[in-house]
Amino acid sequence: MHQADSPDRVRLVFKYQPLGPDPAPMRDLLADFERQHPNVEIATEQLPNDADSALQYFLTALEAGADFDVLVVDIIWVPMFARAGWIADLSQPFPAELIRHDFLAGPAEAAIVEGRVFAVPWYTDVGLLYYRTDLVPRAPRTYAELKQFAAEARRKDPSVQGYLWQGRQYEGLVCNAFEAIWGFGGTIETEQLRIDTPAARAGLGYLRSLLRGGVSPSSVGSAAEEDSRRVFQSGKGVFMRNWPYAWNEAQAEDSPIRGKVGFAPLPTAKGEPGHGALGGWQLAVNARSPPARRAAATKLVAHLTSVQANLSLATAYGRRPARRAAYEDVYSLSSFDKALYPILQNARSRPLTPYYNLISDTLQGEFSAALVGIREPEQALRRAQQQINRLTAAAQ
Amino acid sequence: MKRAANGLAAIAVALLCLAPFAWQIFSSFQTELGRPSLRNYVAAFQGRPFGQIILNSLVVAAATAACCIAIGASAAFAIAKLELKGRSALLGASLACSMFPPIATVSPLFLLLRRLGLQDELAGLILPYTTFALPLTIWVLTSFFREIPDELYSAARVDGCTPFRAFRLIFLPLAGPGIATTAIMVFIFAWNEFIYALTFISSPEKRTIPVAISLFATGQTEPWHEIFAASTIVSIPLLIVTILFQRRIVSGLTAGAVKG
Amino acid sequence: MSPSAGERCQAYALVAPTVAVLLSVAAYPVLATAWLSLHRLIIVFHDRRFVGLANYASLFGDGRFWSSLGNTCYFAGAAVPAELVLGLLLALLLDSAIRGRSALRAVVLLPWAAPTVISAKIWMYLFNPQSGPIGATVLHGVDWLGTPTYAMWAAILLDIWKTTPFVALLLLAGLQTIPPSVPEAAQVDGASAWQMLWRIKLPLIRRSIVVALLFRTLDAFRVFDSIYVLTQGGPANTTETLSIYAYKTLMRAGDFGYGSTLAVATFLCIISISLLYLVALRSRLAERA
Repeated sequence: MHQADSPDRVRLVFKYQPLGPDPAPMRDLLADFERQHPNVEIATEQLPNDADSALQYFLTALEAGADFDVLVVDIIWVPMFARAGWIADLSQPFPAELIRHDFLAGPAEAAIVEGRVFAVPWYTDVGLLYYRTDLVPRAPRTYAELKQFAAEARRKDPSVQGYLWQGRQYEGLVCNAFEAIWGFGGTIETEQLRIDTPAARAGLGYLRSLLRGGVSPSSVGSAAEEDSRRVFQSGKGVFMRNWPYAWNEAQAEDSPIRGKVGFAPLPTAKGEPGHGALGGWQLAVNARSPPARRAAATKLVAHLTSVQANLSLATAYGRRPARRAAYEDVYSLSSFDKALYPILQNARSRPLTPYYNLISDTLQGEFSAALVGIREPEQALRRAQQQINRLTAAAQ
Repeated sequence: MKRAANGLAAIAVALLCLAPFAWQIFSSFQTELGRPSLRNYVAAFQGRPFGQIILNSLVVAAATAACCIAIGASAAFAIAKLELKGRSALLGASLACSMFPPIATVSPLFLLLRRLGLQDELAGLILPYTTFALPLTIWVLTSFFREIPDELYSAARVDGCTPFRAFRLIFLPLAGPGIATTAIMVFIFAWNEFIYALTFISSPEKRTIPVAISLFATGQTEPWHEIFAASTIVSIPLLIVTILFQRRIVSGLTAGAVKG
Repeated sequence: MSPSAGERCQAYALVAPTVAVLLSVAAYPVLATAWLSLHRLIIVFHDRRFVGLANYASLFGDGRFWSSLGNTCYFAGAAVPAELVLGLLLALLLDSAIRGRSALRAVVLLPWAAPTVISAKIWMYLFNPQSGPIGATVLHGVDWLGTPTYAMWAAILLDIWKTTPFVALLLLAGLQTIPPSVPEAAQVDGASAWQMLWRIKLPLIRRSIVVALLFRTLDAFRVFDSIYVLTQGGPANTTETLSIYAYKTLMRAGDFGYGSTLAVATFLCIISISLLYLVALRSRLAERA
């Protein structure tokens, strides 16, 4: 930090989503930066939590040339924003090898587009299986075991639901569906985007059988994360698929299931630990941010993604750190995060392509159609594949 | 007999309207610990300038209603009572503006407001709100002015009254119910509008209520108790404005001004 | 007596502000969107090409466009008549001499005045098949929001509950302009309640009815907020209306070319329907009068 050639006061605008009800820890983190860089003033502007609203705002504002400095991006938006030229190439201050070395593999790869770094991972997320330790003997390893355990628990207590997950027509359904597809050994290559595969058919078929067979209640068809969590937390569910945030809620003071919950990797068809969908958000610098502010913006990104910041955000807001070093700090890390680490390392990303939003919209419609019974999984996937081929060809 | 039936119907209607809110109000007093408390109401004001936000919404909604009435009433009078060439075209054109899906207008308006220097200003909200509420204003007020007999205007004309004076002194007072109705409708439209408010305003202290409520959801949980408390709080100014205005709907023409 | 030059001038001056505002603020987005609809533009790829009417041509082959149009017509066709009838009944009730009339008038506006997000969430709770008061009992645990057709009915019911007050308010204002001498005279003449309504009151508020019908139809065709919060267009796009399809195309995929085409197509559909209304109503009302 060169005090001698500091310019006049620089005002950075940071657009992000509120991380939790208490704004104080985030404010302290930013005040910390301002103290270390006395010529920088940070103004924060909050965006709604809802990813759709945030995306809509960014599309409008960035295309119109708004020049705020630092912004949060969803992990799957990076290729899209990079291709659009909205976020700056950060390969100079954050070389690709550095990103790959310092951060978990999943978030790191998501931040690198064609060898160039366009974002820095901020916090990460992975899909987990939660289970009631008092209702089932252990975490199920296969889908068959899951159905079996759920049936046994429901026989003992018919008022509980078996397996709660997210089947509403939105991005969460795509996460759930991909996890099922991966559970049957399928992969979706970014280059080819082949969705009409035997593994996909099996995965969708499995999800449908959960609803048909009564393992999952009908409300799953319109459930999002909070809907599943609320039912599970009231004690009325045996299994739940959700993100790590549900753990803190489950273990809260007044939770009816406090101390009775365990978590594990998702089950698969054959029994190996399942890949959870990779979630989380990254920090990026607006490409329109003028050079005078660019340096300060980059430093802010570095500050917010440092190990200390990772750990303090984990404690304050329950956000999973994206840095490997945070997981090696055995003193500061919670036991939950320690146990979560192997599952995080095994998380798999949805396809990283600038076309992701285009294809996700198609997938949401077709997956929902298969779940609800309008179409058979084979037909739904065939239609999805046709539309994806058409969209990606047309967009080129 | 008829009165009793009407009374029962009134109670049934009130219940149907209020019942869903009963759950909202009930939940707003609950906390995670199960004991009812006012904590959610207090929490609504913590960490955010909620009072300022309510004021912003009041200012924007009131200004929009005022502008719409001012601009729309004069136009409606001219269309209804004066032999204006092209009045059907004007009515049709204004209706056409109401036919456009708002979502497509967000991007162009964002650019327009930036060029006008109104980005992140409350005036930058009042302008598009007024524009897109004008068609309804004009149509409602035109139909009201048309109800007022033409003889009033011709009589005034004979007396040497100019259109401006006739409008201000005779027709405007008579259109009380129409103006009150339109004012309420425009006020509520501006109060609840979300997409423009989200895109055009970025400073926290300039936010309006719908966007502020959408920002309540921090983290990945939905703090429904707090959101319901906030929603209950913001319906109070709305109820007050509505009660004030609906009194005006009653008075007006029925005061016997149209004896002829 | 035809208007003098001065009077004509004042007439134009009275409408000038409206024209100015509409031309400058409303015309620009509409024209910009229409212009964009003639291009292929996915903003992420920054490849803007003029394609003339090609987007409109592909509309015809776009199954999703037709099904969203169908959903929109279904929604409007069910919601608007119901709201009109219920709104009229409500307006008549609010017009009658009952106790607590002013309080009822304020209460009745609450569903419409409450933020859409809140109302939609309340209804999602009500319809919850496991724990909702309606879902678990009246609906026998069927998940309306997750079942095709039923989800649309849930959206329609929400819209009826929410916007009937708007129609009632419009019609009430119309009813209030009826001089009390008219119904009094009719009563003296021995008119029954039905005749009072059909022959006397309705014709006198026909202008308010037309305005209410027109604007409710416009709004029903452009419906976005309530359905989006309720179902986001699901399940399986069965509640996807034109506006939701346009929103997803514009704001998720960033396809500003085709999204603008969808917006213009919505606009054209609404224009056709409004013209139909106005023609049909003009002839009907001309007959009556």
